[in-house]
Amino acid sequence: MSLLREAEKCIANQKAHAALNAFITPLRRSGPWLEQVRDADRRREQDKPRSSLDGRLISVKDNICTRDLPTTCASGNLIKFTSPFNATVVEQLEDAGAVVAGKTNLDEFGMGSHSIHSRFGPVTNSRQDHDGGALSAGGSSGGSAVAVATDQCYAALGTDTGGSVRLPAAYTGTVGFKPSYGLISRWGVVAYANSLDTVGIMGKDTSRVRHVFDIMNKHDPLDPTNISLASRNRIRSLLESSNLASRMTSGLRIGVPLEYNISELSQSVRNAWSRTLSFLQQQGHTIHPVSLPSTQQALPAYYVLAPAEASSNLAKYDGVRYGTRAEGPDSDGKSENVLYASTRGEGFGSEVKRRILLGTFSLSADAIGNYFIQAQRVRRLVQRDFNAIFRTEHPFDPYRDLPVEPASKPADVDVLVCPTTPSSPPQLSKLLDKDAVTSPLDAYMNDVFTVPASLAGLPAISVPVSAQDSADEDLAGIQVVGQYGNDELVLDVGELIERTK
Amino acid sequence: MLRPCLRQSRGVARSLCSQCYQLYHRTLPAPSHNKPIAATRFFSSTRPARNTAQTSTITDADRVPLRKQLKNDAKFVKARQRETREKEEASRQQWELTVGVEIHAQLDTEAKLFSRASTVFSEVPNSNVALFDLAFPGSQPEFQAATLLPALRAAIALNCDIQSASRFDRKHYFYQDQPAGYQITQYYEPFAKNGYVDLYDYDGIASEDGKHVQVAIKQIQLEQDTAKSQDYPPSTQLLDFNRVSHPLIEVITMPQIHNPATAAACVRKIQAILQSCSAVTTGMELGGLRADVNVSIRRRDEAPGTHEYDGVSGLGQRTEIKNLSSFKAVEEAIIAEKNRQITVLESGGAIEGETRGWTIGSTETRRLRGKEGAVDYRYMPDPDLPPLLIGEDLIGGLREKLPLSPDEVLQKLVGSEYGLSVEDAKPLIELDDGARLEYFHDVVDILCEIQADQQNKPLKDLKRAAGNWVLHELGGHLTKSNLSWDPDLVPAQSLAEIIDHQNRKRITGATAKELLSMVFNGDRRPIAQLIEEENLVFRPLSREEYVELAQVVIALNPQMVEQIRTKNQAGKIGWFLGQMMRMGEKGRVEAPKANEILKELIMGNGQQ
Repeated sequence: MSLLREAEKCIANQKAHAALNAFITPLRRSGPWLEQVRDADRRREQDKPRSSLDGRLISVKDNICTRDLPTTCASGNLIKFTSPFNATVVEQLEDAGAVVAGKTNLDEFGMGSHSIHSRFGPVTNSRQDHDGGALSAGGSSGGSAVAVATDQCYAALGTDTGGSVRLPAAYTGTVGFKPSYGLISRWGVVAYANSLDTVGIMGKDTSRVRHVFDIMNKHDPLDPTNISLASRNRIRSLLESSNLASRMTSGLRIGVPLEYNISELSQSVRNAWSRTLSFLQQQGHTIHPVSLPSTQQALPAYYVLAPAEASSNLAKYDGVRYGTRAEGPDSDGKSENVLYASTRGEGFGSEVKRRILLGTFSLSADAIGNYFIQAQRVRRLVQRDFNAIFRTEHPFDPYRDLPVEPASKPADVDVLVCPTTPSSPPQLSKLLDKDAVTSPLDAYMNDVFTVPASLAGLPAISVPVSAQDSADEDLAGIQVVGQYGNDELVLDVGELIERTK
Repeated sequence: MLRPCLRQSRGVARSLCSQCYQLYHRTLPAPSHNKPIAATRFFSSTRPARNTAQTSTITDADRVPLRKQLKNDAKFVKARQRETREKEEASRQQWELTVGVEIHAQLDTEAKLFSRASTVFSEVPNSNVALFDLAFPGSQPEFQAATLLPALRAAIALNCDIQSASRFDRKHYFYQDQPAGYQITQYYEPFAKNGYVDLYDYDGIASEDGKHVQVAIKQIQLEQDTAKSQDYPPSTQLLDFNRVSHPLIEVITMPQIHNPATAAACVRKIQAILQSCSAVTTGMELGGLRADVNVSIRRRDEAPGTHEYDGVSGLGQRTEIKNLSSFKAVEEAIIAEKNRQITVLESGGAIEGETRGWTIGSTETRRLRGKEGAVDYRYMPDPDLPPLLIGEDLIGGLREKLPLSPDEVLQKLVGSEYGLSVEDAKPLIELDDGARLEYFHDVVDILCEIQADQQNKPLKDLKRAAGNWVLHELGGHLTKSNLSWDPDLVPAQSLAEIIDHQNRKRITGATAKELLSMVFNGDRRPIAQLIEEENLVFRPLSREEYVELAQVVIALNPQMVEQIRTKNQAGKIGWFLGQMMRMGEKGRVEAPKANEILKELIMGNGQQ
């Protein structure tokens, strides 16, 4: 099939699935993309494609800046905002010949687990429950996930701060990959929580995801948190040395974190997990129980740290230099009123406001010691947990030389395999029902398995696995987590697990 | 050693320029006014020197000779200090004042702290801004390493321990001049700690502080400046983001200052030090330097206060006065705040920990916000910025190349090499951004060169003479003509040659001054040619010629001769001397010789 034919099918699907609300800004039927894809087709005929992505349509989450399309972050504050510059990842994709397939819907600024907190309305999962009821697409990259699941593009970019790519991948039956923190440039990615934000990649299968990752896994001097060339070389030589290079063929040591085996696991998730482990064993790999004792504290720590950074990052949206400004004087003309209260009050949605308030509180002079600093300590513990069980050492671990406590005896595993989320996607109607007594904590619970890898900055992928041998419908997300820098290994294992049928 | 430093400091120290220009070279009205103009001018920073609108109205009649003017000014400073002292004597004995100072200074850098945008903010508003400076979504900071150089020079000059690792934090508050909603600063781990600044009597510290006090510097931190906002009431604010994110250092002293004048001297001294090492762009009067002070008092005869600030305990509740933009404001605001606190406490009230403001010319500080309105800045480590790692090699290299400090320059000038008085050395250092001192060194260098054949003569006297010429003779011409400093008015070469000719006795002192005047007024002939063509070479008169001339002038006033002889009024010989100088051939009569002859002829002492 020609690239043009493929692209046209994507555009047709965008139109056909418009009701799922995956896109905030879809691609127009005619536009410069047509010529770009035709050029790519010509290059392919001459056997000179720019890359494996040449002429492919890639959807971009609407919190990643694009010069040609608006970047709204699904927020009332940026409802008409177009960025004056392209994010580095967008530049990299376009340089590789890829075409931006539109901007996908999300939870405002990436804050949410169901893609329902959007100024443009909720995203609907293309999968339905047994009664045909609409399901959550997961969040916050739900738009990208649905766009991938319904072939509205070749692959999609999302962002993953605490699971925002892996969770929607699990809910929509797609692959979602969060690389190691710092490998992919964040320049042009609108910050939610800088120390956790990672550009993630979504695709129908792991090989597509890998193609996109290869294009973007490059040093970018514009992002001060991006890993330097020297560090990249160090990681590479660390992995090429010793016996690590041949792990996939000589047999992997696969860790199963005991703390993830919780009573709340739904049956289908439990089934998918055990089917995956059996399959891996059949393939000649060994399974080892491991302990990550700080798992329980990871979720609360995340919900202190991420909102703290968010409250700081979102202080810039005041409507003065760009974005939407409330009508009239911004303090109601009264000096005793708070500056920007109207603009920020009208512009932000309820979940964003909740997190700004949470963060503002946990950074305040009286609370910072008990909340923000305490949560940073937990974050260190989570990192140490992981370092204690992985065979490869963390290339930047400042505690490398500290003696490991006897209790956490090294298990020397290569990767962890665990569920992405405890349960199947909930019904959208229940989430949107304003009368239903649901606590925001219920939504936060969905992130319990994804947050630890985020806190530690580790690579993690969610791949869809059937819960039963026969049915293809009952899919659950199975997560692979590796040591920092072991992104290729995580992709390899993800690719392997895909074959669990 | 001395000169390179001052070369660097050119164009850096505008503030001293204007104050000192006004102090030393603007003819002031006679000091009979009630207002202590001269004294306040010494501490204030009103306008740049080239403000001819102010100076052009002064007529010749107002003109006071420079030395006299300096004296008057000094008298004024003293009178004012005495007045203030007396007024506060009573309270001073009961209450002890404690002051700490925070100084924000714009670093002299090409680029902003976190972007490559230029720091020139005189250009078209909002033209020098990068995406990050405007807090565009998705933009990230790019720390400009070159910013460190002036910051480290400042820290070394202020005797700080440079920290091998420091970090950036966000300080949150909403204001339209703050695009990100936070300022990036160094709160938890600043790059420099534990410094100090020495203040001497000649720096203008209060007499209670004696000859010398040392004020400890708690820390110096790097941070961003804000945008410039302009108010157009009732509802318009114009914003210029050219200044936003200009690199600043904040210098925080310990609360160890106990006199208002010393606090002002401390700010002035820190500014001078920052300028001498080329760390900062401009001084206070151009907005390149701003000061906040914290003020508390406690009764001397009671138990110590219960508050502790920066590790200094036993203090009273303090208040902070923000945004003081002149040395005068620093001193006056502290005096006013001290008096206010005394009044509150003596009437049984309590001091609130609040932020206050000060307007020049007012008598009381005004409340800006109280404790209940206090801003919780929610300091958070910036997650986008890596720690700042500074190597010993960099610090060592900068330390080696650091120019002499203002104190060292002063010591050198008053030391055995130059022998200047402190009174001459201070203005020489401070005038015209240090350009005057640079000129002085040019003159001295040329002099030393052309005096190379006179090896047995001490150069110290010549150097001191050069100081006198540069400061007083040339300064006098500047005053008279209302011109601001320009080294090309009298090229250093010309002045050096004039001094050299006089030193070799080829011309008289009077001729030397006349030559200076000719050059100052634009005569650009080489000095040797000038002397030749204007027939100014000193041809000494013979004894006979002196006697002949003396007899002529004695004959003019026989009565006075009689008075001198009978009443022994030797002082009146001066009149005859003046007549001899006037009547004799230009540039040939040497006053000491003429005086000798007159004494001989009138008093009859000597050989006759």
